[in-house]
Amino acid sequence: MQTVTIKNLTKKFGSTVAIDNLSLNIEKGKITGLIGADGAGKTTLLRTIIGLLLPSEGEIDVLGFNPETQKNELNQHIGYMPQKFGLYEDLTVIENLNLYADLKQVPHDFEKMLEFTSLAPFQDRLAGALSGGMKQKLGLACTLLGNPEFLLLDEPSVGVDPISRRDLMKMVRNMISPETTVLWSTAYLDEAHSFDTAVVLDKGKVIYEGKPHDLAPTPQEFENKVIDLMGGYNKEESLIAKNYDYKAPDVELTVEADNLEKRYGSFYAVKNNTFKIKKGEIFGLLGPNGAGKSTSFKMMCGLAKPTSGTARIMGTDIIKHPAKARSNLGYMAQKFSLYGSLTVRQNLDFFALVYGISILKRKEKVDEIIEVFGLKEYEKCPAEELPLGLKQRLSMAAALIHNPPVLFLDEPTSGVDVLTRRDFWNHITSLAKKGVTILVTTHFMDEAEFCDRISLFYKGQTVAIGTPEELKQKAGANDMETAFINLIKESEVDK
Amino acid sequence: MKILLALIKKEIKQILRDPSSIIIAFVLPFISIMIYMYGINLDSVKITMGVKNDDNSPEVATLVKSFGHSKYINSINYDNMEDIKTAVLRSKIKGAVVIPNDFSTKLSRGEKADLLVITDGSETNTANYVQSYAITIANQWLSSSKFSRKIKRPVITAESRTWYNPDLNSHYFIVPGSIAITMTLIGILLTSLVVAREWERGTMEALLSTSVKPIHIVLGKYIPYFVLGMMSMAFNVFLCVGIFKIPFRGNYFILFVVSGLFLFTSLGIGLTVSSKLKNQFLSSMVAMSLGFMPALMLSGLMYPINSMPEFFQHLTRIIPPRYYVSFIESEFMAGTIPEIVIANAIFLTILGCLLFIAVYMNTSTRLDGNK
Repeated sequence: MQTVTIKNLTKKFGSTVAIDNLSLNIEKGKITGLIGADGAGKTTLLRTIIGLLLPSEGEIDVLGFNPETQKNELNQHIGYMPQKFGLYEDLTVIENLNLYADLKQVPHDFEKMLEFTSLAPFQDRLAGALSGGMKQKLGLACTLLGNPEFLLLDEPSVGVDPISRRDLMKMVRNMISPETTVLWSTAYLDEAHSFDTAVVLDKGKVIYEGKPHDLAPTPQEFENKVIDLMGGYNKEESLIAKNYDYKAPDVELTVEADNLEKRYGSFYAVKNNTFKIKKGEIFGLLGPNGAGKSTSFKMMCGLAKPTSGTARIMGTDIIKHPAKARSNLGYMAQKFSLYGSLTVRQNLDFFALVYGISILKRKEKVDEIIEVFGLKEYEKCPAEELPLGLKQRLSMAAALIHNPPVLFLDEPTSGVDVLTRRDFWNHITSLAKKGVTILVTTHFMDEAEFCDRISLFYKGQTVAIGTPEELKQKAGANDMETAFINLIKESEVDK
Repeated sequence: MKILLALIKKEIKQILRDPSSIIIAFVLPFISIMIYMYGINLDSVKITMGVKNDDNSPEVATLVKSFGHSKYINSINYDNMEDIKTAVLRSKIKGAVVIPNDFSTKLSRGEKADLLVITDGSETNTANYVQSYAITIANQWLSSSKFSRKIKRPVITAESRTWYNPDLNSHYFIVPGSIAITMTLIGILLTSLVVAREWERGTMEALLSTSVKPIHIVLGKYIPYFVLGMMSMAFNVFLCVGIFKIPFRGNYFILFVVSGLFLFTSLGIGLTVSSKLKNQFLSSMVAMSLGFMPALMLSGLMYPINSMPEFFQHLTRIIPPRYYVSFIESEFMAGTIPEIVIANAIFLTILGCLLFIAVYMNTSTRLDGNK
């Protein structure tokens, strides 16, 4: 039995071909993972399947309906969770559930749902005030209302910590019936490896379709195989690092956090956070959503004022001499924070200017950075039109334009495909080898392995600190993800 | 039906939680009526003007005095032209009257006597006042002076009587007219944001993947904002009539029915823009310039329509506030006049229905704008 039959589907936006003569069957009662690089056509495919977009050519049959003409009938049998979850942030948890239950014309019976999502205590909280992980669970709960026959999830686990990710997976597997078909688009290949079927998309075409285990027995090998399918990743010498004009500092401890604390009323967002990072070290800050990682980050760059404690960058106190401390710092924010309507070159020109690079040197410097970061092709493209991976690369270019000896990266790889992530980490590790100190946060546990040392952060406090090996030993785990989950649980018990 | 109710309930909760919609609906009308009441005044005001008398006869001295005694004028006496020039330049006086040295001689001979009135053309409105005050005062003086016998009385004298607004108090038509402005603001500004917001936050994509039909989305926006708009309307009328004592001679039922029709058109403009542009910032800007500016400039509230260039006179025909302003001014000041009510109501209904169709056509069920 097939839930979806697609024959020779093509979808064009203007002259851009998003889906290119694609044929695909999705089997009933199976979980199918949809994998692909940014811009491979995953979201377009999902939207076309449920009739949110009309195909340019080709035929689609979903549950016996034609989404082109029978969208309304089809919609009664499906559950679709878009990338932004579709929650009303100014409505409470229960109001969102009530609304979607009414729209789907199903009874208001949320007991089981609230129990599974552990959202029961937060029923009256505004959806906008929930943490990232909880929003995702609520979005999924709204999607699951009315037990849809066919569930489509568009990257539900972007930017979510490993614990929430496991919960989400458990929730889907427990809430659906054996007949339910699931189409799950994801950037996490370990996730995709656990599904019944994997579909790999590249440039709007299916390049692999089959059981993930047929491709590789372990998630790690599966990732390598998928990368090979996408054209392979050739680890080359990082030009970014090679061209980096690094001036060795005279201090050994380049970044120090000294009892950093941030309090809102009686709530501690960050509590006595202390660590010291050596020159050329990659220091990872890990922890669940809402643990206080970003707050710590902002305090360390002088963007938020600590309630008490301080931080030093290259020995300069960030509170006493913020401008001087910041001149040694490159900061890449979690959210894309460049000017969307300016072109790539204009953005870099601007950042060169604000970092005080002289007019005479600016053109040369920007030319060089565009070349090194491989942005030549996109030089005249407005930043908002770049694919996600390139946006991140541009953000990094802007953070590095003044050759800072210290680099802060807040979730630089969130929502980025696996190839771009590899490329990114190649640059990060090469920069560290040259002596640049790097402080990074991530939700990808395989990335955590690249760090020299890790601080595990939970509920505003450091739970554990050490090398990845030390943390795994301490938790008695073989991989970083299990170590993460165990250590967080242990700290929960201790309290 | 259940779907529609759910959407309306959702919208009402969002309105109640968003202080900006409450501010637009209730605080803004209050501020705008205050401005129209105390800030804008199209009536005569006391004007400072200069007087230069070159005629030394005692009779003319009484003319200078009567300038000084007038309750509309603050007069300052000058001896030479240079001082008057400087005073006008510095805006110390708004104009001046110069009495030539042969003024009384000519009058006593029964000849035509000239009086020079200088006005500041950079403020035409004030210039008109200076001119008419000067002439009125001079004529009054003339009729009571000893020269009056020598002057032939005009055969016809005009006795003017102003109907509906005997005091010629401009507040009586501007303040009710301001209701039109606030109703335009509520209808256009609030709704220009709401559809675009659903697109920006991604909730529209989720809505479209359920069995919601375009008509649900359209009515789900129209109904709550219509209710909010009518509440604000009632508050406006209460401010006008109850607090600021603007006389209301019409019928409240008719006032609310026609106001409802007008609100229907305003909501249509805001929602059309919002569903078309799908971007909050852009659509609020477009809605303001498409809805608010014409309401202010072309509705006939500030500038009479028949004094506009012909092209603009025709343009006002598609601007809903034109019909509403014409209705509300007559409803307040002259009472219900069936012809005016019916004509304006018909045009508002036609425009409202056309806009409703435009909103419906622009409400897509797919992401790329297809039905």
